Amino acid sequence: MILAKKDIPKALEILSKEAAVYAPSIRKIEDRTTGVIQEEKIFLPFEEGTEIILDGPNTVKPPKDLLFPNVEKMYQYKAAGEDSYIREILPEDEKKILFGIRPCDMRSIESMDKVFFTKTYVDSYYAKRRDQVTIVAIGCLQPERTCFCDSMGIDPNQAPQADVMMNVAGEPEGESYVLQAQTEKGKALLDAISSLDQQEGAEPYQGTVCSLKIRKAEDLDKKLAGMFDHPIWDKVTKGCIGCGTCTFLCPTCYCFDIDNENYGNEGCKYRCWDSCMFSDYTRMAGGANPRPTKKERLRNRYMHKLSYFNERYGETLCVGCGRCIASCPSHLDISEFIEKATAADPDAVSYTDVPAGTDRKEA
Amino acid sequence: MAELSEAMVQDLIRAEAKKALQTGEVSCVIGWTATRFEDRTKPYFAQTPEECDMLIWNRYCINGTAKFALDDRYPDKKFGIIARGCDTRAINRMIHDKQLKRENLYIIGVVCDGKENPVCRQCAHKTPLVCDVMIGEPVQDVIPESRFQEIEAFEKLSPDERYAYWAKQYDKCIHCYACRNACPACNCIECYADQYRVGWQGKAADREQNQIYGLTRAYHVGDRCIECGECERVCPMHLPIMRQTRKMLKDINDLFGPYECGLSEEETTALGEFKTADPDEFM
Amino acid sequence: MSIKKDNNWEPRILAFCCNWCTYTGADLAGLNRMKYPENVRVIRVPCSSKVNPQFVLRAFQKGADGVLVCGCHPGDCHYSTGNYFTRRRFMLLQRLLEYNGIDPKRFQAKWISGSEAAKFRDTVAEVSAQIKALGPNNKFVGAHYDNTVMEKEAEGGKD
Repeated sequence: MILAKKDIPKALEILSKEAAVYAPSIRKIEDRTTGVIQEEKIFLPFEEGTEIILDGPNTVKPPKDLLFPNVEKMYQYKAAGEDSYIREILPEDEKKILFGIRPCDMRSIESMDKVFFTKTYVDSYYAKRRDQVTIVAIGCLQPERTCFCDSMGIDPNQAPQADVMMNVAGEPEGESYVLQAQTEKGKALLDAISSLDQQEGAEPYQGTVCSLKIRKAEDLDKKLAGMFDHPIWDKVTKGCIGCGTCTFLCPTCYCFDIDNENYGNEGCKYRCWDSCMFSDYTRMAGGANPRPTKKERLRNRYMHKLSYFNERYGETLCVGCGRCIASCPSHLDISEFIEKATAADPDAVSYTDVPAGTDRKEA
Repeated sequence: MAELSEAMVQDLIRAEAKKALQTGEVSCVIGWTATRFEDRTKPYFAQTPEECDMLIWNRYCINGTAKFALDDRYPDKKFGIIARGCDTRAINRMIHDKQLKRENLYIIGVVCDGKENPVCRQCAHKTPLVCDVMIGEPVQDVIPESRFQEIEAFEKLSPDERYAYWAKQYDKCIHCYACRNACPACNCIECYADQYRVGWQGKAADREQNQIYGLTRAYHVGDRCIECGECERVCPMHLPIMRQTRKMLKDINDLFGPYECGLSEEETTALGEFKTADPDEFM
Repeated sequence: MSIKKDNNWEPRILAFCCNWCTYTGADLAGLNRMKYPENVRVIRVPCSSKVNPQFVLRAFQKGADGVLVCGCHPGDCHYSTGNYFTRRRFMLLQRLLEYNGIDPKRFQAKWISGSEAAKFRDTVAEVSAQIKALGPNNKFVGAHYDNTVMEKEAEGGKD
């Protein structure tokens, strides 16, 4: 169907009657002392009057916390004689529509599905949220300078796994969107807003390309698997400060920890995001830590994204959204690492760093 | 001496770093190198004289360099640091906190004229306070009048407004500990937050845990804060973290007299000393 | 003690008392059969400067409505200078909490010597009354335990 840009709020209003709609908009915090309003683009629940921003840069935080929240209560308990109980807390029954997810983030949800649904175990918390979600993906129009999803094998114009694919009609400045249902859920969604159909419009725009082109070896995953002790790790991990920014902003990082919060004789068990960049991630009970320094930790992160996940699930876990590049306190850059690893001699015994981008110019 | 251009300073930095590495006195020199984006640099560790040509100096060299010295607390050789005024305060901070030894450092001080970083507008010490060699002409230290302006304005808001503001900020926080890891005053061997099984700090990134972390961090760092602004710079969610630590500094100034820290390695910190004549509110 | 919204609500106050002065003072208050509000829980510490500001934050987080730190008068410290550090430390903490929108009455410090039983009684009564007027502390107890009885009943506090 064809949906005029000006009709988007109307469409979302119709949809929000049936489900909670989450769409990219601006969260504002006003600082009354300076008059400055801090603005941040994130996925927020749609309410009447909310300004939806589908173009421009991608959201600061990925939409993963709508499916896999940062803090998720699992069960609560009380130890009080006959009144004792253990109660499971499953996610609430709430239909959700994630509106305006970019192809890179859609691919990350596919990866999360693989982790939480396949290999013999189904995560009931994730499954319940995932089943209730309908996803409307949007073809990317303005890749940021840190975006390199097409180098990672993702088409910024297409998200095949989304329920509905939305592309601007005709030119990037076009006044309407072409919406195509890709699943049954998607059809139902489009039926709900069919009254807004413009009937005619141009072909969906498919011309977006990423601003950052990187050179990545086709078999980088296999190459890296043989580079565990390569001297490159010493160099590229030195600047890391060991914070969790990259993992918490990464749309595909899914590690969690389980802990409990006790108040007297009652409490609850919850799970929350964990980061492989933290020292306690692999620390064992006696204090031994197989990943004692940032070198081992960052190596694990890069290897997981680019090699281990391929081995287990057959795809690269880095989707090229560029969030870790944009927000890294030390300005480390996974795309730079991919290029360096691609150019590196896997059997080398020493490694000399080269300035960013120079290996590309030579090639 | 005429004012040095950026390119001249960069050449001097490279030459000094090369000299230090050639003598074999230092194991590496940490400075900045280019990234693929013109307006960003990243920390770089030159380990051979040849690698020194990767070091650069421009107005985007905003990462603090001193904290990396803690990566190896017992080095065989000296650790070379290219240090701006704020980095030297950070070095003093860590030496005073007994985390580093001066004799293990080789400091190439560079007079800094402020970088593309908002906190540099409030910089009081552009000249390195401690160094082995100095590049550039020392400039006068001036504490900007605007140092506590923001704090004073915030204090005037109503308590509910202040609480609401911080609550919103803590809702944003993603608990990544970038502020801790970048902070030169956060130099404990093991952070209380990493001992979370002990129970001081929960791992969940919700308002409750973020608030406890925020207040604990502000208080723990407050009297030792060197005002380098790394915490605020690195925060991926742009929390106004300095607004908490500066509040501590302001109160120390108001209650116990003029106070800045990290100016020398011998100084004491506000909470590590007392005067019998301090004001008393607890009678 | 359960938290009730009605008039029977009683605040929970934690008092860190120095072993050498205030704790003895509290003992003396008991010996003299002085009455003071029973909603204060005393924790004995070797010196008021033993109290880490984090003890205070932790107490608030875990549901204390008020925290009181009591030690020897300046100059009388058993360890000669401990309470001078306390004084600096908690003047700053009080201001930091206030800055974060938490009423400074919720966290107080007082010098009470071993012979000042009456001062201990009066302080506890005064702090208790002030905190009762402020209502339950809901600026610390966080979000992820919101389905428990405690949290639900604590809703609607004034502060």
